[in-house]
Amino acid sequence: MFAFLVRRVFAGVIMLIVMSLVVFGLFFASPVDVAAFACGKNCSPAIKEQTRKALGYDDPTLVQWKDFMVGIAKGREYPNDPELREAAPQLVASCDAPCFGYSQVNSRTVNEEISKAFPITVSLAVVALIIWLTVGIALGCIAALTKGSFLDRGLVGISLVFYAFPTFFIGLLLLKFVSIKWGLWDIPEYTSIADGGVGAWLYNLILPSVTLAVVFMAAYVRMTRAFVLEAMSEDYIRTAHSKGLSRGRVLRKHTLRAALTPLVTMAGLDFAGLLGGAIITEYVFNFNGLGKLAVDANQNYDLPTIIGLVVLAASFVILMNIIVDVLYAVIDPRVRLG
Amino acid sequence: MTLPATDLDTHVGPPVGESEPEAGTAIVGRSPMQLAMRRFRKDKLSMFAFSVVVLYFLAAVLAPFLVKFGVLDPYTFHNTGAGSLLDEFTLPKGSWGGISGDHWLGVEPGTGRDVLARVWYGVTFSLVMAIAATIISVGLGTVFGIIAGVSGGFVDSAIGRLIDLVLSFPSTLMLLALSSLFIDILVHDIHVPEGDVANGTYVVLVLGFFGWPYVARLVRGQVLSIREREFVEAAKLMGASRFRLYFKEILPNLWAPLLVSATITMPTYISAEAALNYLGVGIKPPTPTLGNVLSGSIDYSTSDFVFFFMPAFLIMIIVVSFNLLGDGLRDALDPKGHR
Amino acid sequence: MASKKKRMLAVTAGALLASTVLAACGSGDDDKKSEGAGETGGTLYFNVEKPIDHWDPQRTYVGTDISKQSRLVYRELVTFGTSEDAVESAKPLPDLATDTGTASDGGKVWQFTLRDGVKWEDGSDITCEDLKYGLSRNFATDVIVGGPAFYILSYLDIPADADGTPQYKGPYTKKGQDLFDKAVTCDGKTITYNFNKPWPDFNLAIAALHFASPYRAEKDQGDKSNYSVFSSGPYKLEGTWEKESGGTFVRNPEYDKATDDTDSRNALPDKIVFKMGTKLETTYDAILANKGDAACTVSDNRLPPSKFSEIPNVQDRYQNPDSPYADYLWFNTKKLPLEVRQALAMATNREGWIAAGGGERAYTPAYSVVNPAVAGYKEVPTYKDIPLAGDPDAAKKILDEAGIKTPYKIEIRYPQSETADKQAAALKDTWDKAGFTVTLSPEGDVYYSNIQKPDHNYDVGWAGWGADWPSPMTVLPPLFDSRANIQGGSLGQDYGKYEGKAFNDKITEAQNATDLDTQITLLQEADQILADDMVYMPLEIAKFNWVTGKNVDFHTTPGSNSFPDLGLIGLRNGGC
Repeated sequence: MFAFLVRRVFAGVIMLIVMSLVVFGLFFASPVDVAAFACGKNCSPAIKEQTRKALGYDDPTLVQWKDFMVGIAKGREYPNDPELREAAPQLVASCDAPCFGYSQVNSRTVNEEISKAFPITVSLAVVALIIWLTVGIALGCIAALTKGSFLDRGLVGISLVFYAFPTFFIGLLLLKFVSIKWGLWDIPEYTSIADGGVGAWLYNLILPSVTLAVVFMAAYVRMTRAFVLEAMSEDYIRTAHSKGLSRGRVLRKHTLRAALTPLVTMAGLDFAGLLGGAIITEYVFNFNGLGKLAVDANQNYDLPTIIGLVVLAASFVILMNIIVDVLYAVIDPRVRLG
Repeated sequence: MTLPATDLDTHVGPPVGESEPEAGTAIVGRSPMQLAMRRFRKDKLSMFAFSVVVLYFLAAVLAPFLVKFGVLDPYTFHNTGAGSLLDEFTLPKGSWGGISGDHWLGVEPGTGRDVLARVWYGVTFSLVMAIAATIISVGLGTVFGIIAGVSGGFVDSAIGRLIDLVLSFPSTLMLLALSSLFIDILVHDIHVPEGDVANGTYVVLVLGFFGWPYVARLVRGQVLSIREREFVEAAKLMGASRFRLYFKEILPNLWAPLLVSATITMPTYISAEAALNYLGVGIKPPTPTLGNVLSGSIDYSTSDFVFFFMPAFLIMIIVVSFNLLGDGLRDALDPKGHR
Repeated sequence: MASKKKRMLAVTAGALLASTVLAACGSGDDDKKSEGAGETGGTLYFNVEKPIDHWDPQRTYVGTDISKQSRLVYRELVTFGTSEDAVESAKPLPDLATDTGTASDGGKVWQFTLRDGVKWEDGSDITCEDLKYGLSRNFATDVIVGGPAFYILSYLDIPADADGTPQYKGPYTKKGQDLFDKAVTCDGKTITYNFNKPWPDFNLAIAALHFASPYRAEKDQGDKSNYSVFSSGPYKLEGTWEKESGGTFVRNPEYDKATDDTDSRNALPDKIVFKMGTKLETTYDAILANKGDAACTVSDNRLPPSKFSEIPNVQDRYQNPDSPYADYLWFNTKKLPLEVRQALAMATNREGWIAAGGGERAYTPAYSVVNPAVAGYKEVPTYKDIPLAGDPDAAKKILDEAGIKTPYKIEIRYPQSETADKQAAALKDTWDKAGFTVTLSPEGDVYYSNIQKPDHNYDVGWAGWGADWPSPMTVLPPLFDSRANIQGGSLGQDYGKYEGKAFNDKITEAQNATDLDTQITLLQEADQILADDMVYMPLEIAKFNWVTGKNVDFHTTPGSNSFPDLGLIGLRNGGC
């Protein structure tokens, strides 16, 4: 187990390094002149070059990448120009390890941006996960147990229909009709638990989370249904039935358990993907999570933020893959690691 | 990594060739293909979904001709002068978004363009993009999957790592962030015409690129079970070239899972086109796609609901139909399936 | 296009002053003021869709942001008032200074004297050293980026380096500090600026832009201070500014109304909450539906055309002022032959463009690039003769007679938005009919920097402009005088690369004219030369549409660019 973990983490780190290199290569090949953008209009060539230097974009891409990696490992200080830092220490913004960079567009370190946005994204992802798992699994079970009935087809069908509408359409329906036009729900505005308590936090998260959950729900309904049906045809379930155990008990004790493993795997990976930011949902509801941060950064050619977010999102996925593998072994004793 | 989410979703069971004809049917002597067709025809829901999909395809093929001969007119404005179909607020005159004998789905606010023509022609562009992206995903995925599956060893694990790498990228963010770079490359280095063609090509290429790993994993799994079978062994012994082995012996045995996989991939690309257009990447008006007609209608969600609802509804129908069709195909091709 | 235009107009100020603040608002007749004047007190909600880029005065270059800063938190030596009259509102008023400044040596030396009793929010006096420090920050071009520093960099009397930048490198490295200390001197409360060439309207420049704003040295942390607000005005920032979500401004007890003679800081609400990021459609949905805080909400973004149908329901809180801007199409004069430009102009469907953009509430047709509110405005007959809906047949005839092969390929560039896409398609519609094959090329935020590139090969593009102050001198020369625009790797505002000798000569003549009437006549002739050469095609004058919450006493003035004037807005009916 330990050897497995070490090996996986090592592989994950290598992958992140390769990825950051790819990302740097891609973004710094971009035709958009970031310095000209930061410098604004009526910017003379000489001033533009100064801006470029101040942003650290005058170094070769590889050097910038190296600085980035050093920042991740040891932290960094901005502005990039050591002379300037020495002459005017009041300017220095220090960025502790793991430092993802400094966003000139937002005048703060990418770490600060992430630390502000991350709680919002996590809240959204967690509430959505709970909604789609509970509702999805419940509906899936009902569908499986009433296999072939009108109810079965209806549940599977409706979840599919909701899934098939574009996410932003569902979000806009909730926002513009449920919230604004009919006034059934206040316009969601993220409120942290510290500011408004659990109640306000949850209240404001419901509409965006439902939007997000609807996307995933259909797959979970169908999966749960399929796994429950498959498990019900397994010999040990038949045995349990023939022992005279009640249907509900068999379902809880045996069937669901067997179906749980793949569901946990899938939920883990979906959740990890969301941690990188639910771009569309956050954009629709104006939640300043990582996804919205990414869209804004993209509009402003805020390269350090984009790069930071890509690397962060990827590390969530990689980390979750490792966790899922371990969980898998814990839940299902047949799986051997190594 | 161990068990990716999408493998479960697109799990198609053992390849068709492997399933021996069952005792009862052996007497009649039908091929597995015929069996599958029979099962599929009996599935009413799938047949219905299939006909909807066919209808969309027909519509998509017809649209360019209808536009050319002026039956459909997605471009002409009716917003000025005596012939204006808009009221003083530039909303369609009349109820239900200006539905009339001439304009069956009403007209677009601001411009007075025909909504039916726009969404119909939009289906064409959306489907073309989705098909192209699917071909790239399935094509790349098949090639990489076969190579990984047959080669094994170092090549297999290298491709495995590559798949992990691609899958760990946040694909939506990458799509947004890379658009200026790649559209610039397309236009200036590859001389793709600027505008619709370059924007569309970019979306197709990038969607296709981020989609292949799922197919590759699926194919690899299939190949692993096929490659131990006698006919492959025989081909190997006869000294068949690697290329022949890959594409003449193994590929023909993959059509069933690939068909299902393509059917399930298509609708995700139709949705993706819409979502990306909402975020500002993709083909822009006046050329209509389902995505850009929908993004253009968002501001009118309350003032002109018909216009807002129609493109989303059409997207929903095609996505649902493709998914049902995929389910039906899977069940038909895989008799040991879940149902 | 709407949101882009605001930024563009402020940022592409160019050769003259910034085109930020001045110019005329429409006659008051369409401003149907609602009942009830604003009262003191209450909380005003101010929704802004796109994040504000800077609160640092030296880095701010967007016209409406400058106006917000002046009204709420930053006092300047001189500032603009709230007069409804365009000419009146273009005159600087003394603010921190005792008067509007004294020029000597032909405008090369300017002096201002600080008032007594003006204070920062911490109670300390605003000093001459603060003014000097604020100005010095412009020279740290590696830290203080994005602002209008280039004016002072080129005017202040400091020797230049080999690369053309001043030898003074700002207050952080202090390289060349002695040079700066010589160029700007303090004598008690009197500050003296020494320039290397005459700057006759320097006081206008520092009222329009905040590069000379005072700054307290201890508060300066360079880029980290970008969103810090150290106030000298009637409000101060409570807590910190969050770029994505905004901040709250509360009363600044150290601000003494007695030291402020201007009429632009009524400061009625007790609190002003800036809410960033909410989509303007959502903001207006809430305002129109009168939901919660929306009754006390003002949007910094104009009502979108998709919501015009709601206007009759909210007539009492609706205003529809003309903007000080004019929109036009520029033609690439180096690429397109004259006849092609004339044919394009002839087939330009202004009516369709206007309808696609929201109709007559959003625009009135334009017959010159000069806004009608500008003194000496005259319709150009050439543009008057072109039918508003365009005349594709006549255009085709022009092409045929010139022997130009059709279909002729044309690509139009514009900053992308849903509305702009429709408007551009309206142009394509009639242009195609005239024998062109038109491609639409919408662009993102890089639009303006792209069309300023000297080697661009674009055919036609959209642009907008507002007069710096109500004289055609601030419209035609900054847009079309090649001598002032095309230099140093940029086209300036002369996006169509026009180099007309007759036009340039006419401008020179106008610049040397001794009386205003002669000058205006010469400029009208210059505008006709542009029309004969078909350098640009005027499209429309934007009209702004404002709807606010029902408890808001709304004001918009020329001094606030026809955007909400936070100096005057108050709440009524007891607020929210």
